[in-house]
Amino acid sequence: MTTEDRQHDGPEEEREPGADEPSGEEPSGEEPTAEGPTGEERTGEEPIAEEPTSEEPISEEPISEEPISEEPTGEEPTAEEPPGEAPTAEKPTIEEPTAEEQTTEEPTQPLGPEPRRLLRSRSNRVIGGVCGGLGRYFNVDPIMFRIGAIALALVGGAGLLLYLAALLLIPRESADAPAQPPIEGRNRTLTIVVVGLVLLVAWPFLLGGGLIGAGILVPVAFLVAIGVLVWWIVSGEGPSGNAGDVARRAALGIGVLILCGVIALGGAWAAAAGGGVVVGVIVIASGVAILGGAFVRPVRWLILPALTLALSAAAVAAAGIDLDGGVGDKLYRPASAIDLRDRYELGIGELELDLRDTDLPAGDRPLQIDLGVGEARLIVPEDVCVVTDADVGVGVVRIFDRDSGGVDVDVLDEPGARPDTTRLIVNADVGLGALNVVHNPDELRNGLHRDFDNDFQGSFAGDGNAACLGTNASARE
Amino acid sequence: MPSIVAGIAVLALGAVVLLDETGVIELSFGLLAPVACAAAGAILLASGLARRG
Repeated sequence: MTTEDRQHDGPEEEREPGADEPSGEEPSGEEPTAEGPTGEERTGEEPIAEEPTSEEPISEEPISEEPISEEPTGEEPTAEEPPGEAPTAEKPTIEEPTAEEQTTEEPTQPLGPEPRRLLRSRSNRVIGGVCGGLGRYFNVDPIMFRIGAIALALVGGAGLLLYLAALLLIPRESADAPAQPPIEGRNRTLTIVVVGLVLLVAWPFLLGGGLIGAGILVPVAFLVAIGVLVWWIVSGEGPSGNAGDVARRAALGIGVLILCGVIALGGAWAAAAGGGVVVGVIVIASGVAILGGAFVRPVRWLILPALTLALSAAAVAAAGIDLDGGVGDKLYRPASAIDLRDRYELGIGELELDLRDTDLPAGDRPLQIDLGVGEARLIVPEDVCVVTDADVGVGVVRIFDRDSGGVDVDVLDEPGARPDTTRLIVNADVGLGALNVVHNPDELRNGLHRDFDNDFQGSFAGDGNAACLGTNASARE
Repeated sequence: MPSIVAGIAVLALGAVVLLDETGVIELSFGLLAPVACAAAGAILLASGLARRG
């Protein structure tokens, strides 16, 4: 029985016996006087201090035992009081102590609030309601815990680990729990400022601290988080329920992730190995099946694998990755122009073509370099002018001391040369990786490069391509 | 609804891959990125609308 219940029950219990009495003239506490107290008398007897509260337990029948007091309850005098004499302002003072008495003096049933339990909040949650539950438990704005969790997640990842642990260990509150009241805007702003200042002060300590075993636990925590997120996206089941449910969803999400990874690798390998048409047909057939299934029998499970396959094959096609040429590292050092092939290719690995000892005749000499994934290094003598037309899907192009990198890198560098100079016209296609054109491999260790830019058009001095007359290098990304 | 949108999106991606393989278009990340984002966004949007409905 709650406090509010007792506020209403008490007077009713007193009224019931009173109904057996001859009219309302008889207040229970005034048995000795036949007349019964008037309203004025009762008013004078109402001070709280005078009430023998210990004698008024609600469980006891006040009339039958007639213990009490000269103090009538709040309701009884109301019926008896002459309207004009009843000081309405005093009525609340009659009822309030009655309620308090009844609440505090129930000996058999504890009437205090239920013990606080740390539960994940349903009404105040961003992910799993952990911070909302902590805020309710400690009576603190949950934003404090959220900021702290994010900060700890960014500094060593402990926040993520702790959040996941809390997600697994703290039960969720029931669906019928009262909603958490919102925090006032001013208090929230103040809280954010205070927490921000605390973090600012604690930042060096957080950086210097770290978590024991973070090298293992944090990646595991990330994996679990990603698993939960993937399963959330796939099935719509968020991080709710008990620890077993969350763990099960994380495992299912990780399983889906592994399956998608296998499909992506297989599709990418097939597309890069020349099976792009087959992969494209399979993807289209999957799309037709999904579309047709929408009208017959939905095959939603096919959506994610089909999308994974399509995106992996499309990424390979966009990068221009071609695995023709095999896998491994290849080093070529042709001794003469006759040994120099027109085309060098490699699927995955490092391709190095060293022309420093190659006797190249004057004039233009075309050279094609195709690399799927890896690094292509072209080492040329100082007296050779290099013209470069390079396409890199994802990666970087370095030509002497200039470079350009990113996605869809397209570099065109067409300097002129004297007729008596060897001009190497390089056409390179790299899917994922780097193309380096240098005079000396040691230059690759030098990290100082200038970006390719249209500003370099016409500029020549100092770009390393010294054998050329000029350059009009440009990069399009 | 989500299956229809997803089917169309997968079909579109497959067509892009096939067109690149046959040399009709030259696929690059600059083209693929918006296509992939649009496909994924359409599927998520359809799923969200279906769930809400």
